[in-house]
Amino acid sequence: MFKKFSSEEVSAQNQVKASVQRKIRQSIAEEYPGLEPVLDELLPKKSALVVAKCQNHLNLVLVNDVPLFFNIRDGPYMPTLRLLHQYPNIMKKFQVDRGAIKFVLAGANIMCPGLTSPGGALDEEVEAETPVAIMAEGKQHALAIGFTKMSAKDIKSINKGIGVDNMHYLNDGLWKMERLN
Amino acid sequence: MAEKPQPVRVLYCGVCSMPAEYCEFGPDFEKCKPWLIHNAPDLYPDLIKQSNANEADKVTEQLQSTGMSSDGATPSAPKQEEVKRLPGGKIKKKEKQEVVIEKVIRNKRKCITTVKGLELFGVKLSDASKKLGKKFATGASVVKGPTEKEQIDVQGDISYDIVEFITDTWPDVPDTAIFFIEDGRKVPAA
Repeated sequence: MFKKFSSEEVSAQNQVKASVQRKIRQSIAEEYPGLEPVLDELLPKKSALVVAKCQNHLNLVLVNDVPLFFNIRDGPYMPTLRLLHQYPNIMKKFQVDRGAIKFVLAGANIMCPGLTSPGGALDEEVEAETPVAIMAEGKQHALAIGFTKMSAKDIKSINKGIGVDNMHYLNDGLWKMERLN
Repeated sequence: MAEKPQPVRVLYCGVCSMPAEYCEFGPDFEKCKPWLIHNAPDLYPDLIKQSNANEADKVTEQLQSTGMSSDGATPSAPKQEEVKRLPGGKIKKKEKQEVVIEKVIRNKRKCITTVKGLELFGVKLSDASKKLGKKFATGASVVKGPTEKEQIDVQGDISYDIVEFITDTWPDVPDTAIFFIEDGRKVPAA
């Protein structure tokens, strides 16, 4: 999704109203309960929250020009990888095997066999259409953020086709955009 | 989870900006190597061995090249080129001839239908937009879309009649080459 992404794709940047800000905070807190203690630090109440609208119904949540979250249409907010690396335990995790890494880093969606093979791991509780962190065999840090297409159980039983949509991965356009100005 | 979780500090490679452990999958591992040897020697233990070996190789190479200077240089040159092309990604694919139709909702109940790719069939876009506008009695214009490509924007939802219209007016366009975008996915129209 962010394969080719640059600041040119940002069509409008708005400082959002306090009420919208509250709504964003609330939905982030709901989605990632583990993030709640630091939420005040990440999204300080005093400083302005900026939402950048981009093409394809994409929104970026910026604080001090740093993108922290993104969402599509009215979907759930997802953290950027830089943020996820700082707080790795806020999301449910899937793990892909080593062979899949290079494809994921090229932007491919995550196929079921890569998750079910010996090198992969699944969080059983994950339902369809939830954001997950994609980890890799033998690595500490997440390499992508995905949005599940099927529930973890389905991934195991069907074991074919796309299991998780790749939203944001290392070295894609959003990754390279550390700051937006 | 009473106390604040401390942010984890991740070591990012200074060359490719990825976490150091992913350098080996990065765009240019070769370039990262010196940085890695310097900053994160634990991550890639093989690397240091390799670099030592490489140096040894170089010495032997030098010795050889002094012996037969002209022969040693030529075979190594094409080899390098081959390697270079691979990490750069795939070679650009030839553009597929297809027409992509997308409905964009503009104002809750108003929408715009965009038609991309007609020019690939040798259709003049300005003519096409005029014809579309006339047929559907709406505004139609040629607009620069994303990635600098020109597309036709037609006001109103005409996504269902448009397939027939395109195939009728431009017989060059087969209806198998027409696609809709639905929920971000390409769906063949036929």
